[in-house]
Amino acid sequence: MPVEIVTPGQRLGHAQDYAAGPGTYVRGDFLYASVVGVKRVLVETDKKTRYLTVSKEKVQSAVPTVGNIVRGFDLKCMFIDPQHINVINIPGLLFYQITGKVIRINQREAVVSIMVIGNAPCGEDFQGIIRKQDVRQFDRDKVKISDSFRPGDIVRAKVISLGDARSYYLSTADNDFGGCAMYPISWEEMQCPKMKEIERRKCAKP
Amino acid sequence: MDRRRIPGPEASVKPIIERADDDDTLHVVPLKTIDDIRQDGRSLDKIRKAWLAPGIITQANGSAYIEFQGTKLACAVYGPRATKISAFSGKGSLNCEIKFAPFSCQKRRSPQRDPQEKELSQLLFEALAPAVRLDLLPKSTIDVFVTILQNDGNGSCLAASITAASVALADAGIEMLDQVAACSACYIDDEIWIDCTLREEEHAQGSLVLSCMPSLNEVTHMLQSGEVTVSGTIRAIEQCTEACSKIYLIMGNCLSESVRRKLEKDNALDGLNKKEG
Repeated sequence: MPVEIVTPGQRLGHAQDYAAGPGTYVRGDFLYASVVGVKRVLVETDKKTRYLTVSKEKVQSAVPTVGNIVRGFDLKCMFIDPQHINVINIPGLLFYQITGKVIRINQREAVVSIMVIGNAPCGEDFQGIIRKQDVRQFDRDKVKISDSFRPGDIVRAKVISLGDARSYYLSTADNDFGGCAMYPISWEEMQCPKMKEIERRKCAKP
Repeated sequence: MDRRRIPGPEASVKPIIERADDDDTLHVVPLKTIDDIRQDGRSLDKIRKAWLAPGIITQANGSAYIEFQGTKLACAVYGPRATKISAFSGKGSLNCEIKFAPFSCQKRRSPQRDPQEKELSQLLFEALAPAVRLDLLPKSTIDVFVTILQNDGNGSCLAASITAASVALADAGIEMLDQVAACSACYIDDEIWIDCTLREEEHAQGSLVLSCMPSLNEVTHMLQSGEVTVSGTIRAIEQCTEACSKIYLIMGNCLSESVRRKLEKDNALDGLNKKEG
């Protein structure tokens, strides 16, 4: 199938016909491309909105953003365009979830080095912190960081704020977020696949 | 003695360089013929032949090499990376640097940063900043490094830097409103000469460097020096804008061509994998 490659500043269509997806912007009555890449039309299955997106095949590096406000895309809905059926899964759409490695902990917070944003690798080193009150939804005052994370853990979390000058604020206060490298055996315990040792962690739903 | 750089052997001799344009010959050979054809065979309103290639520096996130015959330079873009400065900023920052290679000019340039490089870097930033969507990159920095390999016209160096940096930014996948194309012009004897060489610049009464976003029809930066009439400036701006849209075409073509080549390569790889699998 012929693909249409567009460059930044190229006019893609009328703003009333399409909604602006990643890699595009609206100015006046028109939609323009803001990156180099392949132009695609995405349609939500349950809604009638048609999104225009421009993306490269491989996302080079990403920058963490808060929630899914900036990228404005919920990946739970499927995108299928009748004309472009091969386009369903586009890398770089899922931007609200990050995967990182705990580098140090103290009594108030765990410091995380962000490695992957959605499914795009993070080229440079972005630092985030999970504060004690953001670890889980219930019993927030009884959380102990040392029972939730250890240095070296791989955790899944979401970005809740741009944070302070140095680090983003992350949260694992959801069933989907938490440690995800070992086997969870309950909501608060994980088991090492090799040594079968049980340690206390905030677990992500597998 | 300079211990930081490799010195030449003690018994070295200065190379004998053949100089085509000595001071005597400067007055003998005219800049143009009677029917307005310049020394390199183009008319006054034509740019030099351009060659543009994105993605030549593999270590950088994005890069570009540009050549306007005698003016040659390379640009590398790194980032977006986390800002190291301790102040919080909701917008990304753009860090531009232009560097002349020691061998780029007729006289040797010192490897240390000099005031001209500082000024050019500032101008490059001013020309690019309106086009880059920095509001999408909180707490991040983009680094743009331009290395001038051969200088044939100071105005054209700045214009080529802006053009190359914009292509390199697009190559890095950084979101932009539009590509920035830039063009230089000189005022020589009440005439406007587009894209002047170093030798032509020596005779100029003034100069203009215009950078614009042709698709959005907006000027991002304009730099004028020398003494010119208003009508002359207006004419120069019109001609530069025209030249910019030509450069813009080259930029767009080479960028989409590089993406197409990459896609074809990926498709070929996929085909191979499927065969093996």
